[in-house]
Order: sequence, then C-alpha cells, then structure tokens
Amino acid sequence: MAIRQTATLASALALLATGALAQDVTREDTVIFDLDRTIKDPRNFNWMTPGTKRMHGAHQAMWEPLFILNYGTGELDPWLGTAITANDAGDVWTLELRDGVEWSDGEAFDADDVVFTVNLAMSNEEISSREAATVRAQVASVEKIDDLTVRFTLNAPNPRFAVENFGVRIFGSFLIMPQHVWDGQDPATFAFYPPIGTGPYTYTSGATNRMIWDLNDGWWGAKTGFMDLPEPKRLIWLESGGAESRAQLMATNQMDAAQNVSVGAYEAIRAQNPNIIAWYDDYPYASADPCARQLEINTTVPPWDNPAMRRAVNHIIDRSQIVNVAVEGATVPSETMFVQYGSMAPYIDAVKAAGHGLSPTADTAAGQALIEAQGYTMGSDGIYERNGEDLTVRIHVNSASTEYTRTIDVIVEQLNRAGVNASSVPVENGVFWGEVLPFGAYEMSYSWLSCGSVNEPWTSMSRYTVKDVVPVGERSPGFNNTSRWNSEAAAMYSEIVDRMGTMALDDPATPEMVAEAYRYLAEEMPFIPLVQSAKLLPLNTTYWKGWPSSENYYNHPFFWWNHTHQIIHNLVKAN
Amino acid sequence: MTGVTTRAARRRMRRFDNPWTNPKLFCGAGLLLAIVALGLLGRLLWDLDLVFTGSAPLKLPPIGFENLRGQPGVPAHPIGTDGSGRDMLALIAIGAPNTLFVGFLASLIGMGAGIVLGFTAGFVGGRTDDTIRVLSDVMITIPPLLILVVFQSAFGDVSLTIMALLIAGFAWQSPTRLIRAQVLSMKQSGYVMMARLSGAPTHHIMFREMLPNLVPYLFGSFIANVTTSIVTAVGLEVLGLGPQRIPTLGRTIYDAISAGALIQNLWWWWGIPTVLLAVMFIGLLLVNLGLDEISNPRLRRLGR
Repeated sequence: MAIRQTATLASALALLATGALAQDVTREDTVIFDLDRTIKDPRNFNWMTPGTKRMHGAHQAMWEPLFILNYGTGELDPWLGTAITANDAGDVWTLELRDGVEWSDGEAFDADDVVFTVNLAMSNEEISSREAATVRAQVASVEKIDDLTVRFTLNAPNPRFAVENFGVRIFGSFLIMPQHVWDGQDPATFAFYPPIGTGPYTYTSGATNRMIWDLNDGWWGAKTGFMDLPEPKRLIWLESGGAESRAQLMATNQMDAAQNVSVGAYEAIRAQNPNIIAWYDDYPYASADPCARQLEINTTVPPWDNPAMRRAVNHIIDRSQIVNVAVEGATVPSETMFVQYGSMAPYIDAVKAAGHGLSPTADTAAGQALIEAQGYTMGSDGIYERNGEDLTVRIHVNSASTEYTRTIDVIVEQLNRAGVNASSVPVENGVFWGEVLPFGAYEMSYSWLSCGSVNEPWTSMSRYTVKDVVPVGERSPGFNNTSRWNSEAAAMYSEIVDRMGTMALDDPATPEMVAEAYRYLAEEMPFIPLVQSAKLLPLNTTYWKGWPSSENYYNHPFFWWNHTHQIIHNLVKAN
Repeated sequence: MTGVTTRAARRRMRRFDNPWTNPKLFCGAGLLLAIVALGLLGRLLWDLDLVFTGSAPLKLPPIGFENLRGQPGVPAHPIGTDGSGRDMLALIAIGAPNTLFVGFLASLIGMGAGIVLGFTAGFVGGRTDDTIRVLSDVMITIPPLLILVVFQSAFGDVSLTIMALLIAGFAWQSPTRLIRAQVLSMKQSGYVMMARLSGAPTHHIMFREMLPNLVPYLFGSFIANVTTSIVTAVGLEVLGLGPQRIPTLGRTIYDAISAGALIQNLWWWWGIPTVLLAVMFIGLLLVNLGLDEISNPRLRRLGR
C-alpha cells in the first residue's frame, strides 16, 4: 500500500516536473523563426557534409563565427576573433582569438580548436561543404602561435582570405568545431549529436520540421563582459510549409520572422496584423539579397553545348517580365552577373562600357536568328526542329519557393513562344541541391551560383574558372562551375580571373580586367543572369522589437545566415 | 370513380413512357454540356492566348469587385486574372473541358478494358477467370492516388492523355468485377444457351448477344467511373502534379493555394474553378441517377 502510494506520488511529481519544464518558457520569451525546408536528418549536426545542418538555428544560435561582415559599414565586426591581419605579400595571415570563450560544456575555446578544424578540412577530401572546400583550396598550412593566436600560410596571396572564410559574407562561415568532441572521429560520417557550440543557446530538441534552442545562462559572453545575455529565453525554427501557412502564422502572431513572401501576400498580412514590418515601410518593402538570380546551363549537353544556342536563350528572355510577373515588381533586371550594390558599381559600369551589359527586354528575333543559323527550322507546331527532332529543354527548379517556380514558369512561357519546347521540372529542395546541381544532372536550372561578390568582383567570377570543372556525375567543388564550362574561351577567362585574384582589392586595374574577362562570359554564356534578388521578409513586432530594417541598419535581415547572432542580441521584448 | 380510373390509366400509360426522357438525366447532361459549351464558345469568342503566364495584369478582380490594392475589375478580363497574369476566363474556357476530358478518356479506357476482361473472365472461366479475378482483386486494394503521385513525380511534366492513361490503369478493376458478376448470371439464361447450342463463336455471344443487355448498366457504371477519374485527376493536379503548361481546374487551385490566394482574398482565383468542379460533379451525379432509373424500372416507380 505504502509502496503503491509512493509510486503514484512519484509519477505525479514526475508528470508535474515535465509539465513545468515544457511550459517553462512562455510565448513572450520565445522567438519563432521560419524554416523554408525540411530537416532530413535532425540528429546530424556535421555541417561539413551536405544537408540542412546549419540554418535551423545551429549557426544562428549555437555556433558563432569568428567575424561578421557588416553590410552597412563594409567592416568585419569581431566576434570569436578579435583581429585578423595579413603580411605585406598577403599570403600569411594571423588570427587573434578572444580571451575567455568557452564551449557550452565548459571547455575552453582556443587556438587548438581552430588549428584542429582547419586541418580537418584540409586533410579530408570527402567533406564537401562550400566553406570547407574553400579553406582546403586556399590554406597551405596552419599553426598555433599561442593559445589565442593562429597563423595561416596560404597557397597564394589572397587579400580576401579573412572575409571569404571567416566573415559570414554569404550565408555561412568556416565554423570552428570543438577538438575534444571531434578528435578521433571520421569527419565524413561523424554525426556530432548532441551538438555543442560557443553560442548563448544550447540544443534542446529537434524533429524534421523544427529545432528548439534554449538560453544558456552560463554563456561565456556575459561572464567576460563581451555582451549581455540575449533577452529571448527560447528560439524555435519551425518549418512553415508554403506561402499561405507562412502568411497565416504571421497574421496570427504564431511566428516572429517569416521567409520571403510576395508583395501581395505581405500587404495582406499587414492588413490583418499592423505589427508586421519589413525592410522598408513602403513599396517595394524588400531588401536586396546579394545573390542575383540566373539560369544555369549545363554546357556539356547538346544542343546547349553550343554557345550560340545559349546566347539565343539570353536574347529570348525578357527580364522585365520576370520582374513584373514572378516577383510583382519588387526587384530589377540584372545588368551583369553582379549584385547591384553601390560598391559594385565600378565593375558593373566597366562591363557595360565594354558593351557586355544585359538587356532588360527580349529581342526574340535575334534569338530566333541564332537558332536558325544552327540549322533549325520552325515546325508547323511553332517549335523549332532539326533532323526531325524538336528543340526541347527541361529546366530543373527547386520547388521550395513560389519565387523560383514562377520565374521558371515565365521563362518556360517565353521560350515556348519563341519556338523552344521548354518545360519545368520542379524538384524537392534536398534533391535539387544534393543531386541535381552539384552533379550536373540537368540541362538548365534556376540558381544563384555566381553569388559571392558584394564589394569586389573576383569572388563571383572565380566560381566559373576551369580549375573547378569536373565531369557530369562527379560533385562540383563547392558548387563552383556547375555549368562545367571548359572551352578555350573559358581558359582565357580563367587566366585573367586568376591573375585578378592575387591583386589588392582596390587595385585600379581591376575594372578593366573585369571587362576583359567578361567578354568571354558574354560570348559563351555558361549561365544567363536574370534578375536581382529581393527578399521580402515579414517581421513581427508583437512580442519582439529591434529587428533590422533600413532605419535600424545594424546588418541585413537574412535570419538563416550565420550573422543572425547579431539580430538575436538586438531583440528586446516589445512589452 | 372516373378519377381513379383516369389516374390508374395515366399510371399505366406512364409505364410505357420513354424511360430516356428523365428529368435528372436532362439536367445532368445540361450541366455537362454547359461546360463543353463554355469550352467551345470560349474558343470561338475569347482570346485564348490570354491563358499564358504574363499576358495580363496580375490579380485583377472580376467586374464589380475590388482587390486588396483597390484596383477594380476591367471588361478586358471580366472574371479577373490570377497571380501570374493569366486571364481567368481563358483559363476556365480551356481548363474546365480539359478536366472533363481527362475524366472521360480515363473512364473510357478503363471501361473498355473492364468490358473485355469482365466478359472474358465471366464467360471463358477456368484459369483465365482466376488470373483476371486475382489481378483485379489485388489491384483494387491499392490506393490509386499513392501510386499515381509516385508515377507523376517520376514522369515530371505529363500531357493530359498520359495522365488519363495513368488514371485508366486504376479504373478498370471495378468494372471488370461487376461485369464478370453480371456475365456469370447471364450465362445461364436461355438465349445464351441457345446461342451456344447453335454454335455461335464466343466473341459473338459475348459482344452481340450479351453486351446489348448490359448497355444501360454500363452507362451508369461509366459515369460513376468518370466521376472517380476526375476526382483522382483533380487530386493529382491540386498536389501540383499533372500537366504544367496546360491549364486544368485542379492546377489552377494548386497555383492559387501555393501563391497564398486565401490570405490575399483572391477568391475568384480558387473560387471559380471550385464552383465549376462542383457543377461538374452535380451534373455527373444527376446523369448517374437518371441512368440508374432507366436501367432499374423499380426506381422509376418509387420516384413517383
């Protein structure tokens, strides 16, 4: 009897305890972010291998970067690192680490972890994330000077080494892993579960559609005075599943930051919930994303291995219509491959002055003339044919966002009207990035793989050089040159771009060299730049204020990037 | 007394009425014909090039309404436009007959296969019967949508005909079973025995002697099959599978949902195709009820 009573009491207590734990954090203390994809493997945190392993909160809340590029000032804001400097030649770099940084299990974060992680990336060819591949390509050796100092010796001078690898320039940065956990593990298969990091939040639970992170009261940053503890007690990344549910969640305050929505959807959300804000108060609301959109062409598949055919497609595409129909006027047509930031203007102007600028409208007749010059004749069904075969193209598109699918719908329509039997092949996000793009399993696809440059031209241009060409069926290193562009012109282009890579960022000869190299791109079009990307991210001020905006520009609002640490530290309770 | 006589006489007369003049059948056929007419008249009177992406302003409401931006409807697009700049009238003038077409074609092929297999199984019997029966019994347990989703994702962009063929692959089992049952019972009737004794070939007995007796029944079954096929086709289209550049009602609803039409209050985008689908299903139901009454005279008497 007594035993039974005790048992009942104990289980009741246990129930109470779990109930209390589960309800510990109120909605007012929680920030809910939108996740636009499914987490295939929620128990794998090995970011060096492909899959959704970072943007579900891991690199926004748990793993901190060494530096963060501030898009407003153009400077590197120090984080785990305090300084990084080069020698005069630009091929030896010295990194200074912050004192007092700890992993969430209490171990110290120091130069050993940095050296260990860089060596891991350098010695394992099979780990494939873009950041690891870049470090592997650039670093010759790395050594520890003392607990807080690391020296990198590079294969070649690289004035961009810091911002490229450790500065969160685009999406992520090279993340340092704890040596005491990773030591002795195979980095290609290690799952790193449960994960630890240096950030102010620790992993609580995860499933395929969500990840939950709770505040670590013993965070090193508060102890050392680097920064106060952030206000949110819990962060959740939740898969919203499409524009409609995303909009409903925002309108009903069940989400605090949503992924890209259309202008119409944003206006509708705001009509229902006046607490919703975006980058700008007024039309077009959206902020400029550094990854301009493009049509990627596999240059090994006939008839698209012929540069004239690729140029024909470029003539047929009407960029203004893409802007108006697919993104409802919220962006502008691309003039070159580059993002149209003010800092890029000298290079864009140089390309345009050399006559390689892109037209915002179509010149279908010119495109058709190029096609006909290749021996095609217009069939009775309005589709070109040669030797009895229709001119067809299948365009792979990631089905994760209506922006992607609608853009391709517009292009498919334009091509069909011009006589090319185009069709779109929507594929799931994981398949698109995991199987279609890197292995060249497509004819054309919608992507932004020339993305990279924000204040200098080299990074974007270097992504299409011949050294990254691999055969179809093998993985392109770091998603570079997935077009497999490997002609004579490509070799000339690569030679100029490689030369540019060793020059200082502000070298006055650069714009001219950009224009010279761009000639080959314009002639052969291994990819066709389409439109600039604008992200309309609805942010909710019902529970949290301090979101980034054009008026409060401490950095950009892309909350799936590694710099989101800054956003979280800026959030304050609305009440 | 006289009143009773005349009523009885009238009832007797009615029994000899032509069963095909059935109001339900008429209404149903009228609704279906209206959709076909919408397609035909649309092709004659309306510019169907407006069905292509980007050929009209986005999200215009029907005439007499305003959208969230405060834009009024315009006569150039009387029932509005969708979020990709397609004219709704052109969209349904092509889409509604397309949806009906897929249903009819899939059902036609399914019924054709069902008739041949059902008759063969029922009439020939033996091993043939066992094979066909087991095959259709197994197939009938497989949920078609599940298989078709996999098929269509693998095929990517399919044409309407291929989609109908795929659906037909799941539309032959029930007719096969039902016809087999009917044939088994009919096999014992006098006229079939007679035909057999007189040495008529099997296919002659099957299709010349027995089939005509099953016609009203087959019609009813056919229409029911059309309904199922359309439901399957629309189900696939609403999931974003099925043809991409060819407008269908299901595809239009899919586009509306994935573009957030509900929260933007673009009711005409999803509402009009939904209403048309409802009209289509009511039409099919009425035709089915009408045919039932024709093939089953008892139902007719009960109804009066």
